[in-house]
Amino acid sequence: MSLVIATRAELIKNKRSAAFWLCLIGSAFMPFIFFLTFTLRPDLNYARLAAEPWQAHLGKGWQNFSAFLLPMFVILTCSLIPQVEYKNNTWKQVFASPLSIGDIFFSKYLSIISMVFFLFVMFNVFMLLAGVAADLIHPKYTFLEKAVDWKWLIKMNFKSFISLLAIISIQYWLSLRFRNFIVPIGIGLGLLVSALILMPWEHINKVPYAFPLLSFAGSGGPEAAKSGLLASHEIYSILYFLVFTLLGFADMRFRKERG
Amino acid sequence: MTIPVVVKTTHLNFSFRNGIKTLDDVNLEVPQGSIYGFLGPNGAGKPTTLRLLLGLLKNQDGKLELFGQQFSGHRLDILRRLGSLIEQPSLYLHLTAKENLEIYQLVYKTGKKRVDEVLDLVGLAQTGRKKARQFSLGMRQRLAIAIALLNQPELLILDEPTNGLDPNGIIETRELIKKLNKEYNTTVIVSSHILNEVEKMATHLGIIHKGRMLFQGPLQELQQMKTRQSMLEIETNDNARAITILSPQYALQQKENLLLLPYGNKQQTAAINQLLVKEGLDVYAIHPRQSDLEQLFIEITSNNI
Repeated sequence: MSLVIATRAELIKNKRSAAFWLCLIGSAFMPFIFFLTFTLRPDLNYARLAAEPWQAHLGKGWQNFSAFLLPMFVILTCSLIPQVEYKNNTWKQVFASPLSIGDIFFSKYLSIISMVFFLFVMFNVFMLLAGVAADLIHPKYTFLEKAVDWKWLIKMNFKSFISLLAIISIQYWLSLRFRNFIVPIGIGLGLLVSALILMPWEHINKVPYAFPLLSFAGSGGPEAAKSGLLASHEIYSILYFLVFTLLGFADMRFRKERG
Repeated sequence: MTIPVVVKTTHLNFSFRNGIKTLDDVNLEVPQGSIYGFLGPNGAGKPTTLRLLLGLLKNQDGKLELFGQQFSGHRLDILRRLGSLIEQPSLYLHLTAKENLEIYQLVYKTGKKRVDEVLDLVGLAQTGRKKARQFSLGMRQRLAIAIALLNQPELLILDEPTNGLDPNGIIETRELIKKLNKEYNTTVIVSSHILNEVEKMATHLGIIHKGRMLFQGPLQELQQMKTRQSMLEIETNDNARAITILSPQYALQQKENLLLLPYGNKQQTAAINQLLVKEGLDVYAIHPRQSDLEQLFIEITSNNI
């Protein structure tokens, strides 16, 4: 119960915060670029999108989003949310208020996770809007006539979200450790780029920063249908999440100096 | 009847990682209903002590009791009953005054009505949609005090609350502290490095220097000490002779071209003057030395190093 209250307090802190604007603008950025190319150069897109407009559009969107933008936004969000306390010098007030360390740690965690959830929802909404709006301007598109493959879309979202848990837990811990938010962002982006370079490696399914792209890669085709609900890297993601959540919590709990 | 003690530390010691002892056997006793001025120069260990009281630093050695309970094991119970402002105001600058208070209103479970009450109390009810970022330093400080007051605390811990405020802000803050103490019987610990300021509101004083408590007690006790330590300053044309004349009766000290002796009263001063004049000396000056608290503070903190 106290965790619910603490999380509600956390959500007030996110109002108009940098993390909020990042997620809103970040989720709109790519759909907006798609919308521009659809409306300004329809000749380049009609043929490509004629048969399966939504599948082609959403597939392309999620591919680009999963590889780099999504993990990058998550890295930034994980740093920006704790940064609100550092920047305003408010950690001391948080720790001097009657909240257990568990409530403090997990309420902020939940607020990060809900911000990532918000990013997901808004990205989907903007992607769908981009298709619909392009069709309204150029009725030759077939977005309004063809159905969206909701099952695929929900599965894609779900698997991506699971694949991000590892990164979220690592980045949250780093952000609590380092007062200077450039440090966790630098480490995160460095690891993300390394993971993308390591893609062909046979153990890539154990490299957390590659998980979102792996989830995209596994979202279509016959391979995905066989693999069941969770692919191996998604199970690793959950394991990493549990380990780093515990580490992060223990770190806050046993720290000698707070605020 | 003894007055209950709200804060009590016993043999509190603290060292930072560099090994330097920041607190050395600090025994703090803050009586209920007092305004306890916690005084010391910068670097004396005030914030360290206050941070220990709030659990922001892990206690290393010694006992820490608030409201008669050990801090460890009763952290939440204790924090629920106090309000604090440590160093600069802790505010979310991208939020309005009301939103800042709503965060803590949830945490302290005080109900929404209390937010408007404290905003009124500190005179920020009219700030509307203005963000804390646009507030003056004085307004930020008042908002931080409003946060500290949300839960109607029995104990208020304020670290240098008038730091950086203009004279008007200083007076307002002081009046607010006095009002809370008088009307709600709130015990207040207020730290400062400016004696003059603490003297104007405190009922009790604790003076800390280099991690050690040099004085603790009611303000009057310090004032009595002051009287005991007062000196009479005399300057004559021939101090050597003056010493010969006065030394049978008074304990004299010579300091540069001045003679110092313990101050008794006005009559005694007049008698000394007459005696010296009668002996044919020119008395250039004779007056009790300005030994106010300020002077005493300097003395206390410099003599005991």
